[in-house]
Amino acid sequence: MNTVIVIPVYNEAKVIGEVIEGVRAQGFEHVVVVDDGSRDDSFVVASAHDALTLRLKINRGKGAAVKTGIMAANLLDADVVVTMDGDGQHDPADIRPLITPILAGRSDVVLGSRLLKREAMPFKKVIANRIGNVLTWLFYGLLVSDSQSGFRAYSRYAALIIDTKADKYEYDSKVIREIKNNRLRFTEVPVHTRYTEYASTKKTKQGLINGLITLYRMIWKLIA
Amino acid sequence: MHLYQVIVVAISSVMLYLGIKEFVNRETGQTLLKLAVRLVVWGGMGLVAIYPDFTLILARIMGVVDNFNAVVLMGFLLVFLLIFKLLSAIEKVEQNISELTRKEALNEAHKRIEELRQEIKAKKKERETS
Repeated sequence: MNTVIVIPVYNEAKVIGEVIEGVRAQGFEHVVVVDDGSRDDSFVVASAHDALTLRLKINRGKGAAVKTGIMAANLLDADVVVTMDGDGQHDPADIRPLITPILAGRSDVVLGSRLLKREAMPFKKVIANRIGNVLTWLFYGLLVSDSQSGFRAYSRYAALIIDTKADKYEYDSKVIREIKNNRLRFTEVPVHTRYTEYASTKKTKQGLINGLITLYRMIWKLIA
Repeated sequence: MHLYQVIVVAISSVMLYLGIKEFVNRETGQTLLKLAVRLVVWGGMGLVAIYPDFTLILARIMGVVDNFNAVVLMGFLLVFLLIFKLLSAIEKVEQNISELTRKEALNEAHKRIEELRQEIKAKKKERETS
């Protein structure tokens, strides 16, 4: 089975090399890195680690980068596509449990959930995630335990059929909508989260303001 | 009937028609909740335009002493429509920029993608034969 790992990055030059090596160490050779208009050397570092590196010349948001990576994976005839964050918070050791339900033919989409095995997740993040889950359920009708997780696996069918125009952080919620609308089989698998100092102090992570913007976008889409 | 009532009813009808049509055709993203919100927002506007006295009931429920007059209503509607139009246009432009940027990124990596694809195919073949 051809498994392609898609990693969207924005100013992750410090850690992206390590993330790629971590993925390779788990036996996954094909890595697609999408540089979302970074101002640092993310593109150069990812290219130096022999990943297929795509560059969005303008910063378009996480959703746009993930979608670009999935399209590249489809061009590579991927049987399974895995998406994970580029800041090192996702553990590459979780990729195998994540793709197992797809390889077994039981699921089309597997959602990595940080809340099924909460570990060291900060309380503030737990609350924010719960709010995100309820809003996603209200807007798109599917209740999942971690609607904002970017660590996910898609079968070839799901990777081809899921289509959303969301460019920013609401992409993760829109995928939930696509699962419901396309009646895709999905399951949730607990994943570890590594809250390194680097990952938790990054300025561009989804905070309160970005969360409110995401909420506004979701409401706007309802009446427009 | 006043001119503003005709305009409001016409706009509301078009928006309601589009909403119902998209929902019936099961277009992507058209949920029952979205239809319900559209019915409330645009249906409410139409209702207030046809039965201006409805605002009196609303005013009583909400505790507003005076009635909304036509000028204020039209002003709000105009501003709302302008924002609606502007935000829709901005969103469309944003989507086009993303699409262009994506196409450019994929085009630039086209050669490498094709090489990798051939490599993956060859490995697959090798595995099958062995």
